[in-house]
Amino acid sequence: MSDTQTEPGAGEALVEIRNVHFARGNRTILNDLSLTIGRGKVTAIMGGSGCGKTTLLNLIGGRLRPVSGRVLVDGLSVPDLNTRDLFELRKRMGMLFQSGALLTDLDVFENVAFPIREHKHLPEPILRNVVLMKLEAVGLRGARDLMPSELSGGMARRVALARTISLEPMMVMYDEPFTGLDPISKGVIAKLIRELNTGLGITSILVSHDVADACAISDYAYLIGNGRIIGQGTPREMQQSAVEEVRQFMEGLPDGPVPYRYPAPDYLDDLLQGDNA
Amino acid sequence: MNSLRRLGQFVIDSVEGLGRATLFFLEVLSGSRKLIRRFELVVQQVFSVGVLTLLIILVAGLFVGMVLGLQGYNTLIKFGAADSLGLLVALSLVRELGPVVTALLFAGRAGSALTAEIGLMKATEQLAGMEMMAVNPIERVIAPRLVAGIIAMPLLAALFSAIGVLGGQLIGVGLLGVDSGVFWSQMQSGVSFHEDILNGVIKSMVFGVVVSWIAVFQGYESVPTSEGVSRATNRTVVYSSLAVLALDFIMTALMFK
Amino acid sequence: MIQKRQLELWVGVFVAAGLLALAMLAFRVGNLAAGAVINPYSVQAEFNDIGGLTVRAPVTLAGVRIGRVSAISLDSSNFEAKVTMELDGRYNNIPVDTSASILTAGLLGAQYVALDPGGATQYLKNGSTIQVTQSALVLEKIISQFLFNFASKTGSHKK
Repeated sequence: MSDTQTEPGAGEALVEIRNVHFARGNRTILNDLSLTIGRGKVTAIMGGSGCGKTTLLNLIGGRLRPVSGRVLVDGLSVPDLNTRDLFELRKRMGMLFQSGALLTDLDVFENVAFPIREHKHLPEPILRNVVLMKLEAVGLRGARDLMPSELSGGMARRVALARTISLEPMMVMYDEPFTGLDPISKGVIAKLIRELNTGLGITSILVSHDVADACAISDYAYLIGNGRIIGQGTPREMQQSAVEEVRQFMEGLPDGPVPYRYPAPDYLDDLLQGDNA
Repeated sequence: MNSLRRLGQFVIDSVEGLGRATLFFLEVLSGSRKLIRRFELVVQQVFSVGVLTLLIILVAGLFVGMVLGLQGYNTLIKFGAADSLGLLVALSLVRELGPVVTALLFAGRAGSALTAEIGLMKATEQLAGMEMMAVNPIERVIAPRLVAGIIAMPLLAALFSAIGVLGGQLIGVGLLGVDSGVFWSQMQSGVSFHEDILNGVIKSMVFGVVVSWIAVFQGYESVPTSEGVSRATNRTVVYSSLAVLALDFIMTALMFK
Repeated sequence: MIQKRQLELWVGVFVAAGLLALAMLAFRVGNLAAGAVINPYSVQAEFNDIGGLTVRAPVTLAGVRIGRVSAISLDSSNFEAKVTMELDGRYNNIPVDTSASILTAGLLGAQYVALDPGGATQYLKNGSTIQVTQSALVLEKIISQFLFNFASKTGSHKK
């Protein structure tokens, strides 16, 4: 049930995925998938585990190449970029990994400073101020001297978020930002994602299977299953969808198009086999 | 027939692995060019790879030297040639034991640590995170570690041999009564800089390259789970040790005719 | 996390220690310094038999090492071994009638060239040839000679 007026048109899209096919060995992961990410919007990509959500992020980030189809970011075809152009594009993209992926041998301050040190040559006092501003934006300026091992999961993700925006990218991809967090931390992350979007105009792509939290902050959502899009629309449209697969996911029904039972021989036969053995 | 097919598969996989490892090595070498400007990365790695291996090398060197002194004396005294003890200890260390034992200890301590560290960084997505921040992990993480290993190994081997000779002297002159002057003069007239010491240094440089290469490659290729990292560490130690011993034979045959 | 200064210090200590060990090996264990020869000049000598003499063997005068054997070749015109020696330039007053013998260090040691000075007033220069030479004593020849002499002596006693 999609209202085509609310799906971003080609001119307003920052990321376009067109007819992408991706397979690993014999397994098809994405099958003729097409979607667009609107500029300046928060878009959620939802689906069950292993449906290809993270693969999609890796395709956008240029870490994987599609078997066929087009992946366009800000008009550039990602799989066709050479190494240098790809690296230049990545400086404009941020990615927040599920685990935060902080560098374990650097403290919080150094972690946030890392991209700036690597790519820009700022004098130390200015660098210090930039880093402190980013940490302040996520509310962790006081934690600057802690080591990643001393941070809780939620704090680590916030530091990683500060690091992600240190180069002020045009878009940020969030890989399962809510997974494994307590409700307070979830609320913090959700607040930050929304603030960065409205405050800095950062286009946000949210990959999550946490329906409630993702839909609460998204402008638009896609649901992926079996390598295709099985539903798309604004969060409200998704919740009101009559499509069975969409309903099962949105409402968390244990049985439906995605079966409860793993394929097995007939129950009675299986039990009787045991008697005969 | 099945075992034949499996053997063939093993050979093909090994050759493929060697090819991947070589391409990886070339990639790391070309990524090392930028290290000249960012030498502090190498310095930091020389610390964790060299300085932290120092203790085990010195202790091992001392004991090996002392054992050589003891065993050498026991055998030489039968031929009335105990005066050549210094020469025996020095040549054994400088030509063979220094480079080889250092390389084996290095593989066990520093090599496995390198593999584990890189494997863990891969498993916790730190390498992927760097890629997405447009930082090439090969240049930033791998290359400094490889270069540090190549620098540290010959130095460690020299330290091993030096302290081994002192250990031999401790036992030979101090304990067993060989004359100190004879001990050193026999050694000095018999050990040639070009043929013995230089060849030993070349050996340890080659070992440094090979062990660091294997360690870094195994870490980079490891399966990103805790089991995968542990298996990669295991492979580093085993492959490094075998490679060192095999190369030692080849180099010895070439150098000491 | 170790301080950067401390780290650099330790790495410096490590590298310095390593280089020191290398130097110790080169000079104390090996004989690098002793090999330093100033202004070397080349001198030749021909021997009937050089025995086990090798290149880089020492050349001594009065037991003091003053040079090294730099090359050994066969002179095919008279089937003698031509030995080229590099002598230290500091010792440039060796008479032209000096003799060169191939001796063995100890009973079973390596062989070397020993120079015995003559009394001439002209000195050896670069390219000179030592005329008086004494070949190496080959052990097998000595033993067979000894046995031959012994056999002929005991044989002459037989009636």
